[in-house]
Amino acid sequence: MNSQPAERFDYFALEGTIDAQSEGYFKDLPAKVRFSLVRFDFAKAGRINSMGIALLLRCFKDIREKNKAEILLEGLSPMHTMLFKMTGVFLLASPVVSGASGKGGMA
Amino acid sequence: MRRMQTVAVLYKDEKDKKLWETTLKGIPGLLSITVNSNLTVSLERLRRVATSLRLVILSARLYPGENPELVARIRNLCPGSELLVISSSGEPSPQLMPLFVDNVRNLAIGTPEGGRSDSEYLPAIVSMLVDRSPWEIGSCLREGTPIHSFQLDSTEDKESLIEALEVVLSGDGEEYELLRQKGALLADELLENAMYDAPRGTQGDKLFKKGKKRDMLPQERIVFSFGFDGETLALKLTDSWGSLEPDVVMEYLARNQDDGSIADDAGGRGLFIIWRFLEQFHVNIQPGQETVVGGHLHLSSGLDLEAPHGFHITAH
Repeated sequence: MNSQPAERFDYFALEGTIDAQSEGYFKDLPAKVRFSLVRFDFAKAGRINSMGIALLLRCFKDIREKNKAEILLEGLSPMHTMLFKMTGVFLLASPVVSGASGKGGMA
Repeated sequence: MRRMQTVAVLYKDEKDKKLWETTLKGIPGLLSITVNSNLTVSLERLRRVATSLRLVILSARLYPGENPELVARIRNLCPGSELLVISSSGEPSPQLMPLFVDNVRNLAIGTPEGGRSDSEYLPAIVSMLVDRSPWEIGSCLREGTPIHSFQLDSTEDKESLIEALEVVLSGDGEEYELLRQKGALLADELLENAMYDAPRGTQGDKLFKKGKKRDMLPQERIVFSFGFDGETLALKLTDSWGSLEPDVVMEYLARNQDDGSIADDAGGRGLFIIWRFLEQFHVNIQPGQETVVGGHLHLSSGLDLEAPHGFHITAH
């Protein structure tokens, strides 16, 4: 998984399966946030299981509480969208509407 | 000779009866009761055959919404009967919390027109409940469909099993791609549940942390099975722990349905996801011996979050 600090927002591109093996990455991620807007790109993310959902929820809560940042999600597949709807992820982070997912502003 | 009535179905009214009667008409020993606002008379009819009844079917138009006390009254009349709630796929999913509170562990979803799959599926479910027999993976597949079974040696086997499933689901187009993604997620959740949630110590504590690599214990048996007949995918995971409890499964489904919980440690999220992605979800538990979790979904199932889904949670 890569992280690229943006000019006005933080940008994290997630890759591959998100599951228990991703725990270390998501535990450390909130400390890397510097801006009040954080964008997560799921275009290269694959399967996200229930443990992956738990890690995302914990990470997003930390970012919102400690950094007071808004979280946007882009590149979501229909499967990601359905999973996030049914597990409450969208209560913490908003999907970027189609056509508004440009990466402008990145450093 | 008059056949003994072993199954009773309670409809709300004539319109409700018409919705289901084609699908249910082939069930042997079926007593149909149309309540028509007169529950007392209907329950008296039920009482007369109570001793022979093995299963009482309730339309979701009657329970839990309009008659939340109905299950308690039926249990009082027919303590030996199993209960099955039937709900139309065209109507909102019944709220699960009342079913959890009433210990109703069977919910079947049918199409309003009583389609081909219902005409086969619902009688099979009724037969399973009347006979108190466990769900079989082949029951929802075309005859002759090969069932692929793999016994795990290590948690490292998970990804290769998911790949084997994806190979069986090879095909072009969006429907196949979605089925492969759903199948992979279902396999992941089923396997994780068996590898990390099922193993318990004598005090009920979890033996292994999720994500920790391990070999199966000498006496431990985890078998993953699946079959695909070109339209229906059936999956089944058997573990030799038998540690899952029916009440706990129902509580997980009901609480996750109610909350849309954002608690990162919400219990049973994996089972909730399995239920939501399967058309029918089956759990069969032999306490301390074996747990079977599985079900089926269709190539054409799609991704409708609001679509109701059934379940059958049994313990023997």
